[in-house]
Amino acid sequence: MNHLDVLESEAVYILREVAGQFKNPVLLFSGGKDSTLLIHLALKAFYPLPMPFSVMHIDTGHNFEEALSFRDSLVKQHNLQLVVRKVEDTIKLKNLEEPGGKFPSRNALQSYTLLDAISEFQYDAIIGGGRRDEEKARAKERIFSVRDASGAWLPHNQRPELWDLYNGQIHADEQIRVFPISNWSELDVWQYIKQEKIELPSLYFAHERQCIQFNKRLVAMSEYIMQDAADVIITTSVRYRTVGDMTCTAAVESTARTIDEVIDEISASMLSERGETRMDDQISDAGMEDRKLKGYF
Amino acid sequence: MQRLYEKIAMDILRFITAGSIDDGKSTLIGRLLLDTGNIKNDILESVKAGKENGDVNLAFITDGLRAERLAGITIDVAYKYFTTHQRKFIITDAPGHFHYTKNLVTGASGVDAMIILIDATIGISMQTLIHSMVASFLGIPNLVVAINKMDLAGYDEAVYSLLKTEYNQIAEQLKLDNITYIPMSALEGDNVTSPSVNMTWYKGDNLLQYLEECKTSELGENGNLRIIVQYVANGFIYGRVVSGMLQTGSHVNINGSGINAAVKTIFHNYIEVNEATAGHDICLVLETDQPVNRGDILTNVNDNLQYTNEFEADLCWLDEASELELNKDYKIRIASAEVTGQINEIISKTVVDSSINYDSNEPISVNEFARVSIRTNNKVAFDNFNQIKETGRGILIDRDTNNTSGALILR
Ligand SMILES: Nc1nc2c(ncn2[C@@H]2O[C@H](COP(=O)(O)OP(=O)(O)OP(=O)(O)O)[C@@H](O)[C@H]2O)c(=O)[nH]1
Repeated sequence: MNHLDVLESEAVYILREVAGQFKNPVLLFSGGKDSTLLIHLALKAFYPLPMPFSVMHIDTGHNFEEALSFRDSLVKQHNLQLVVRKVEDTIKLKNLEEPGGKFPSRNALQSYTLLDAISEFQYDAIIGGGRRDEEKARAKERIFSVRDASGAWLPHNQRPELWDLYNGQIHADEQIRVFPISNWSELDVWQYIKQEKIELPSLYFAHERQCIQFNKRLVAMSEYIMQDAADVIITTSVRYRTVGDMTCTAAVESTARTIDEVIDEISASMLSERGETRMDDQISDAGMEDRKLKGYF
Repeated sequence: MQRLYEKIAMDILRFITAGSIDDGKSTLIGRLLLDTGNIKNDILESVKAGKENGDVNLAFITDGLRAERLAGITIDVAYKYFTTHQRKFIITDAPGHFHYTKNLVTGASGVDAMIILIDATIGISMQTLIHSMVASFLGIPNLVVAINKMDLAGYDEAVYSLLKTEYNQIAEQLKLDNITYIPMSALEGDNVTSPSVNMTWYKGDNLLQYLEECKTSELGENGNLRIIVQYVANGFIYGRVVSGMLQTGSHVNINGSGINAAVKTIFHNYIEVNEATAGHDICLVLETDQPVNRGDILTNVNDNLQYTNEFEADLCWLDEASELELNKDYKIRIASAEVTGQINEIISKTVVDSSINYDSNEPISVNEFARVSIRTNNKVAFDNFNQIKETGRGILIDRDTNNTSGALILR
């Protein structure tokens, strides 16, 4: 078996473990490449039956148009059960403070919405597309990651996880986060997307876009960010390596219009995926770790 | 030049680095990643912090948690990835401290190879013994003993040879074989990804060569048929073939119970197929009225699968919060089967101290090894680990805390 077969098999096995061990799992789906990959794997894992979980989008309201329409068409194509919960509603309900600043990211607030939705629907397993090579705190996480009643990750006291004997036993108020593609790199994801001919939102391929140049990063012009007179605005050919909240995901300059060109480009890139594109990890050395302690995926 | 998008004929090698605290595990991984061009610039920048001279602090590349960076030690397993033109590698950086041996066991389960580092200036330590014990317990197929920090030992062949002889004795006691010794300086890069100019007396492979050529554990297509059933819905049986092969029209047996059923349909990878082999995740439809459930193992007719409620196993205790309690109800999970059972006897206990000896009078607590006898309330199917690994290993779950409290090897 080549490395893609091994990774696929591992993910399929994990997804089937989720179906076998939990009453009410849900798969997090944003329209990004990693969660789209997860859907593909889940459909494959349970063929010829439909996948036995619903999918959920935690919607920050700061979406790329292309990701949203892609989300909806994929849901329709495969007849998935989609649940959408909006960060905007959580902000109103809980009287939370809207983030301010030039790039007012609701990224960290997603955790509140996610945790509310988990208790609303009584989900016991939440499947996410996190990969260990994305970030150093993620590199430490188990495949079946136990979260306490407040959704917090307990990095100093993680459950032993041996071979593929994933232990999904939890108490009533706990949950398990499941990461079937933990061992995939960005390049693996793209090679697999090519092999399986998986469709992605057009954002992942080079297109002309108006961006603000900020701290050597390109942030798409949108109604969600604060424009200043001093902003340097350029229109150039870009693509996205990751797709998240419009306010905290940066584009990369690129002319890669096909999958092969994208694969060539990331193999040659001198910067890591999140390093190049995420504004939120730059804030502190332990940005991701801190968010995970508060219930983030 | 071959382009990476065309390069999908690689396989995967999983390996772990072990060794006592400060023997240089994190430094070695940092070195491997750096020298194979697998560290991106922004990551490189972030690990220069803490070094006044702008040098890279190689160990920082793997320590992921704030507490780890502050204390400068590894607490839990971190996974790192790199590729060369031969292979994709999954590295597990495991903690060296005794207290975290249970995390090492997590990281070492399922690897193809273990690298045990020994600090040439210190020699074999208690942790070297414990990590070797873990390798022996888990039956890790390939072992590298890296004699590290040779730069501090004058790159002296005598130092290397002496440690090699000493370690050989341990290996014999623990029945470890297939050992490769490499003298190394992780810090300076000697024998990591290129031959050492300082140790021309060493004629063997450098570490990267070894890793690129090392055999990966493949599932046995020629073995007896084993299908682990994970999930069943509407008569569709989902599971993985971990050994052997099966064809439509042939008959399978459920848990070695005497109940046979014909294979009607096999689905794999979105299509109906006539045949599936070890490594395939399949969906099956059988011609039978007998229920098939998660936890069942399907075999060929007249197979030698064990199906019993009394057996012995090697155990490693992983729970810090409690000791093993005799005759207490635990959940015992073997492959996908889960049964309630008790440990009714500790047959022997392995104590690892300056030497390795056996003593059965003490209770079993975290990071300790024993041979135990187990009784389960219902019968459970399994194999001898030495024959089929995937169906010969298990975990023990505490029913109150739900923690994974023990690792079991059935042999
Ligand atoms: N001179 C020399 N120093 C080394 C070598 N390898 C590692 N070191 C140093 O030894 C110290 C400990 O190295 P680490 O890589 O952090 O050790 P570790 O085994 O990962 O330790 P834990 O993570 O705490 O278990 C560091 O100061 C390294 O720079 C070597 O080959 N030669």
